[in-house]
Amino acid sequence: MQNPFAASPLSPDAVFAGAAERFFELLKTFGLQAASGAGGAPEWSSVAGALAQQFEQWLGASPALGASLAASAGFSPAGAPWAFGQVPLGMAAASGGEGENPWELLVRLAQLQGQLAGHWSEIAKSSAEKFVTRLRAGGAPVGELTSEGALKLYELWVECAEEAYARTVRTEEFCHLQAQLANTSTALLLAQRRQADALARAWGLPTREEADALQRQIRELRDELAAKPAAKGAAKSGAKPAAQPAAKSAAAPAAEPPARPARAARAGERSSPKRRAAKSAKRARRGRRPRA
Amino acid sequence: MSATGGEAAGIFLDLGARVAETLARLREARGVTVGGSARRAVWRHGKTTLYRYLPLEQAERGAERPLLICFALVNRPYILDLEPEFSLVRRLLEAGLTVYLIDWGDADDGDRLRDLNDYIESELGGCVRHILDAHGIEALDLMGVCQGGVFTLCYTALHPQQVANLVTLTAPVDFQTPEDLLSKWLRGIDTELLARAGNVPGEMLNAIFLSLMPFRLMQQKYVRLLTGRSDRRAVETFVRMERWIFDSPPQAAVAFTEFIRWLYQENRLVRGTLSLGGRHVDLGRIRQPILNLYAAGDHIVPPAASAAMGRYVGSSDYTACAIETGHIGMYVSRKGRAEIPGRIISWLRERQGRRGPAR
Repeated sequence: MQNPFAASPLSPDAVFAGAAERFFELLKTFGLQAASGAGGAPEWSSVAGALAQQFEQWLGASPALGASLAASAGFSPAGAPWAFGQVPLGMAAASGGEGENPWELLVRLAQLQGQLAGHWSEIAKSSAEKFVTRLRAGGAPVGELTSEGALKLYELWVECAEEAYARTVRTEEFCHLQAQLANTSTALLLAQRRQADALARAWGLPTREEADALQRQIRELRDELAAKPAAKGAAKSGAKPAAQPAAKSAAAPAAEPPARPARAARAGERSSPKRRAAKSAKRARRGRRPRA
Repeated sequence: MSATGGEAAGIFLDLGARVAETLARLREARGVTVGGSARRAVWRHGKTTLYRYLPLEQAERGAERPLLICFALVNRPYILDLEPEFSLVRRLLEAGLTVYLIDWGDADDGDRLRDLNDYIESELGGCVRHILDAHGIEALDLMGVCQGGVFTLCYTALHPQQVANLVTLTAPVDFQTPEDLLSKWLRGIDTELLARAGNVPGEMLNAIFLSLMPFRLMQQKYVRLLTGRSDRRAVETFVRMERWIFDSPPQAAVAFTEFIRWLYQENRLVRGTLSLGGRHVDLGRIRQPILNLYAAGDHIVPPAASAAMGRYVGSSDYTACAIETGHIGMYVSRKGRAEIPGRIISWLRERQGRRGPAR
């Protein structure tokens, strides 16, 4: 048994409490309206504005693809937790360097976020209108506002909201905006990293570019090694004990296999060099593809 | 409808009491565990671990061929063994199957350049070859889940001799069906730029998945918890699910962006233009029996995206089945629990005695 949550920052009770709080806000709005209509039919149209406002605020703080990426680059006013990593130098670092001008990117990002807010507003308004229309068409619970009645109102509200949301976020315009938001915020993140790299270089520290170059080199070396027939033969016969354990214990399989797992697999649970050599020969006779 | 001030206050008091009770249960459930079925690690490479589940004492007669489960990179595989009651793995073990599972682990900065070919050929391939050698067999049964389903399709197309039967669960094949909102959102992403930004954090994936249906997934389900069955066991199951939903691992930059570009943006799998390691992935080469299970109400992999498989594979023994549930409901809903394990087990049993595909 494992508890993968021990180190997780997520607290289900906190998420639940947040949702419950918003639910109560909605109920308050429903309840006030119902109370105002006591003795007569409530006028739900007056509640639409309040609902739309609450909803728009929530949408603005919720993640969508573009907004997520913007937040991940550290440019969300809410400071969402899904960051690629902390931008080390803050906004002041977003200046100079090659590529697109970071300040231009910032301005573009702000413009895009403004457009996104326009969509949230449209969705919120449309949801509220749908909600009121359906209530008038007979969707409102009849009789006293009970817990069950309130929940029915809530379910109807969610249905209307989800429909309005789906209609907007499927439009070409919205999809294009999402992509632009994501691309712009990623470009801005990279611009900041370039700046951070410049500072690291000045201080004689390894840069991201250098780390990437090293990784590429290691990868190329691995590929070259794997492509060499001699290396393959040596690995098949188990002739690389330094890199490859002759036999791994199934109970304690911590030993790292060599670069190519195909060969590591050959040194499986019950293999011996002799046995593996016999297997290799058998495979060769059957014309089986070498395992790469 | 009317409500007096006293009645409205009563509603709030009632709901307030329910919130307090549910919160207390949620707090109690914070220590819940997952993955109840005993297993041992039998092979490792990089971050990838291959687990073999230990057979159950009360299991039925064992099957000849082992079953390897390949899960998606974007989520953790413990959803398949969330708790004894909701455990596909356990049902398979009870039926006497020998079950292996791939856990991809967490990509870190050293995995930025890891690509799809690495995951499919080296990691999935390494697991397959290990099992074949360990059992002294020519072919195994393969099960791919969601993105893992795509991997298993690719692997089977490239190595048909190593796979006897293929089972896929919620596996997308056509990435550009009209209902696919995720696909619409991803089409304009600059993947080269994204790849340069490094590994993609799991939290970002969570946010994207949740934003497909934000009100249902971020609001309504919690409110339903308030109003539904909220005994200790139900709350514990809820917490396990929550943890899984918010527990996406980071994604290796290159593999992630390749997946977006090649599949979501270019739809290479169905266009027949996908290559891995210089080898063409031709779904028409898959002549193995295939069982394709997908969710009729799936908001992540729309049913049409998965049902398209039948048009592209070369198998003459292809069975597709839509389950009346959602994406996650495939693993944890009562409907999924009632239908899926039984279908997989009986389908595999019918084919256990048969030889693997012709080479």
